[in-house]
Amino acid sequence: MPPYTTSRASRVDEMWRIAPAGDRALLITIGTVIDPALLGQVLALDRALQDQRPRGLLSTVPAYASLLCRFDPGVTDVARLADAVRQFKGAEEVSIPSTPVVEIPTRYDGPDLPEVALKTLLTPAGLIELHAGREYLVYCVGFAPGFTYCGALPDEIAVPRLASPRLRVPAGSIGIAGRQTGIYAVESPGGWNLIGRTALRLFDPSADPSTRFKPGDRLRFVPIP
Amino acid sequence: MIEVIAGGRWTTIQDRGRPGLERFGIPPGGAADWFAARIANELVGNLPDAAMLECTATGPTLRFDIDRIVAVTGGQVDSAADWQAVRVARGSSLAIGMIAPGLRTYVAVRGGIDVPVVLGSRSFCQLGTFGGGFGRPLAAGDRLPIGRMFGHELVVEPWPPSHRLPLQGPWEVHVIAGPQIDAFTGDALERLAATACRVTPEIDRMGLRLKSPGLRLQSQEILTVPMTAGAIQVTPSGGLIVLHVDHQTTGGYPVIATVVGADLALLAQARPGDTVRFRAVDPAEAARAARRLTDWLHPES
Repeated sequence: MPPYTTSRASRVDEMWRIAPAGDRALLITIGTVIDPALLGQVLALDRALQDQRPRGLLSTVPAYASLLCRFDPGVTDVARLADAVRQFKGAEEVSIPSTPVVEIPTRYDGPDLPEVALKTLLTPAGLIELHAGREYLVYCVGFAPGFTYCGALPDEIAVPRLASPRLRVPAGSIGIAGRQTGIYAVESPGGWNLIGRTALRLFDPSADPSTRFKPGDRLRFVPIP
Repeated sequence: MIEVIAGGRWTTIQDRGRPGLERFGIPPGGAADWFAARIANELVGNLPDAAMLECTATGPTLRFDIDRIVAVTGGQVDSAADWQAVRVARGSSLAIGMIAPGLRTYVAVRGGIDVPVVLGSRSFCQLGTFGGGFGRPLAAGDRLPIGRMFGHELVVEPWPPSHRLPLQGPWEVHVIAGPQIDAFTGDALERLAATACRVTPEIDRMGLRLKSPGLRLQSQEILTVPMTAGAIQVTPSGGLIVLHVDHQTTGGYPVIATVVGADLALLAQARPGDTVRFRAVDPAEAARAARRLTDWLHPES
């Protein structure tokens, strides 16, 4: 059986909520929690909409448990596009295609590592072992170019965001917040607890695709000295 | 070639942006005041995709090494090219200077600024530090190549004042409820619409932080969702952030309402201290507001 298959499609389907996001987009919200089954639905709907592009649909943006559909208001409107989208409800394949696990060489020397270890009552080594000791699913690429949202963290190392965000987080920084872990692909502001960094380049505007990861990919952090 | 003598406060190369790459975390970008930018290209006879300069608060000084047709639109400046196509003679300079009223001024040159296309656009992307020719705002000494992206003759008449958008507040912008309106109490949007919000100094192409005196909206973080330009995010402390063209592509604050696309042009000209009022409309009314502007652009249709 492929990973992340769900048999709960019909039950989860009932939770779809379609709402306008301004006059040129609509947002389909499939759920409100981090769940591979919900991501499976989002990606399946995304694929279906790309294959059988409804009239006026310009592009889509997947994230965790929702999908944004940008449309041309000269061609369609929220009501018509929502009708077209609803026809895909329940019809889609919900398993996430299996892809090789990508290893992220990680130097665990982030500025917040000692503080997170204190908060979680772990030794730094214990924290690293928990963070690096599992495979993560990429749930979203967003916020800034190439920023890679992954989950889910073990509960033992789930800590809140920083009280005040940093104005500059260097590219390659690896952070944690709640049950998410993420990799900053470009220098940007950021409020996550920084525990490590990687030299891997996750965003290159001259490459195609420009980002190393897409939702549904899998990765693992590998500690390096 | 155009030589930059002084870069101005924050001058970047912009076109219509690169919408459609949000799934890679790349904001759509493009001219913040899409309407003024569109007219600048129109006046000099450029194609709508031609790149131009977006100047902020204080514009650049440019020297031309060849005769060129130029038009300046958007925030008001003291220039003969203000909302009008004029010829700038070889060897002479164009000083944009202070911008007021308004915040952003567009300088279009017939043929367009021909810097390399990155990810489908010549626009500078601040979050990704790419595009815009130099991967940064313009600085003294930069040399700007001119392209051949003209499509028609230049417009001889100045652009009529009746077909321009206001450059000063109080701003009234149209919003459509949602997408996370359900995260708020029933009358939250009415209360927001009844509030005179104030623009803080924290404004840039990514978004505008507003103060909403007397308004207390309750919100808490939500699971990360995709964001659009115009999204009015409510932070847990009750603050408002209106996302603009270089917006983060996803976010975790609920969006009570979204400013319609046409009115992003108004917010692009808002200055700290200005008053903003949000008026909730339905999609049909939003479409009529958008059509008014497109009719100004294409009076024949």
